[in-house]
Amino acid sequence: MTLFAGVDIGSTTAKCVLLEDGTIVGKSLAPVGVELIKDAERSLEQALTDAGRERRDVTVITGTGYGRFKVTFGQYTVTEIGCHARGAHFLFPATRVVLDIGGQDTKAIKVDAKGEVVDFAMNDKCAAGTGRFLDVCAGALGYDVSEIGTLSLGARHPVKVTNTCTVFAESEVASYVARGKDPKDILAGLYGGIVSRSLSLLQRVGVEPEVTFTGGVSKNEGMVRALGHRLGLPVNVSPLSQYVGAIGAALHGVERSRGVSA
Amino acid sequence: MITGGLDLGVGTTKGVLIEDGQRVLVTDIEPTHGNPLEAGRRVLERMVEEANVFPDGVDYLCTTGAARYMFPDRHLQVSDITASAKGAVFLFPQTRHVVDIGSQSTRAIAVSETGRVTRFKMNEKCAAGAGRFVDRCAKYLQVPMDEMAPKALVAAHPKMISSVCAVLAETEIINNVSEGIPLPDILMGVFLSLAQRANVLMRNVGVQPELTLVGGLVHSEAMVRALEQTAKMPVNTDLRSHHAAAIGAAILGHSRLQKLGGRPVALPAVTG
Repeated sequence: MTLFAGVDIGSTTAKCVLLEDGTIVGKSLAPVGVELIKDAERSLEQALTDAGRERRDVTVITGTGYGRFKVTFGQYTVTEIGCHARGAHFLFPATRVVLDIGGQDTKAIKVDAKGEVVDFAMNDKCAAGTGRFLDVCAGALGYDVSEIGTLSLGARHPVKVTNTCTVFAESEVASYVARGKDPKDILAGLYGGIVSRSLSLLQRVGVEPEVTFTGGVSKNEGMVRALGHRLGLPVNVSPLSQYVGAIGAALHGVERSRGVSA
Repeated sequence: MITGGLDLGVGTTKGVLIEDGQRVLVTDIEPTHGNPLEAGRRVLERMVEEANVFPDGVDYLCTTGAARYMFPDRHLQVSDITASAKGAVFLFPQTRHVVDIGSQSTRAIAVSETGRVTRFKMNEKCAAGAGRFVDRCAKYLQVPMDEMAPKALVAAHPKMISSVCAVLAETEIINNVSEGIPLPDILMGVFLSLAQRANVLMRNVGVQPELTLVGGLVHSEAMVRALEQTAKMPVNTDLRSHHAAAIGAAILGHSRLQKLGGRPVALPAVTG
């Protein structure tokens, strides 16, 4: 009975992390379907399998993410804002600003030295500048979003993507493809647009080092470089960047159960 | 005197030939497919043949729409706002407010008795408020475009779309399908949500009766109903309203030609 589970049900993927004595001992990541409760259960089971442990070893389960209320078998739910702050602080203790670009929303979060949320700004109304935008535009280029991570590196003449709207940007990408533009340059142009949108959120909370980039889009090397370049700052990205919300949820579970027992 | 109007839109290219600025001789339309120049030339060629105005041809040609500057064989170009307003007033003389839902943009236009634009608002930044949204919904719900309206009209409890983004609305609609919400309710929700977006622009401009709908969605009875329900007033429209901007362009071309002393100017060759 020593495991703390964080289950992050996002719009696109379900993530689960198991913490034991401040160490990650198991994790899982899978796409979500329409039955979110089952997806949430499965993500916990897969993380347990990964850790070689059983359900009865789990002390506290905390849900987070857009589908956190579907983690019906958990004890707590925490907003993804609070979890990303805490998770980013866990991986990079000097983090003061978190940029989280998920499948369907983008958040800029200001955190203090303890990993508490000070302020945040978010776009969850429109797919522009989110992972979904990248998915759709990668599709227009004939790629899956997982294939484009390093493709833009070495772009020399980035195009200018003038449309903000995902639907219109998709057509714009198609017209650049038709004109024979290099996919490198098109991608670099798209990243420029996403970075601009992120920057306007970041500026609302105030940019200060260190900046930690989380969420699925942070897996994209081209995006990480474009962001760092525009900020003029190094950007922290962990190999666990997609799990940051789940890590934060598990950490919240640890704190809350301490509070209960005290 | 015959004047031509060509509306070179993002989705479709519309054309009309008008006699003496009063009588519509012929209309034509085809999908633009990213090549407004070719589409415009074909539309013009077919109209000239059908109206049998060849070899004298068209005295004056006025273009409008997003690609109006891309058509070299024109005498004049006018903005789509001006053209839609003029065309709507020609079709329905009591029009004081025009809603033009195009494939990529929606416009709400207040007009004077003479068809002059007094105020307008436009959304061209976001696909959620444009006709393209209906196309996309038809595609992923796998309903042919011409069945969208008949199916939507039998809706008992239209399911409104809460998302303001066309892409995020897709996810919402797919969730609605998987939750077992009847297709007609989902479809009517699509039209109502588009009508609501248009209504935001309309209220911004100020709505006065009569209200006239122009653009590609005039063929959709569900769209007309949705707009009537949202705007709480009757909506004028007929099938020629799809060509309102082209008609307006041809009429404005006629006025210009008269100001020039009615001297017919030979149209450059349209074949080629």
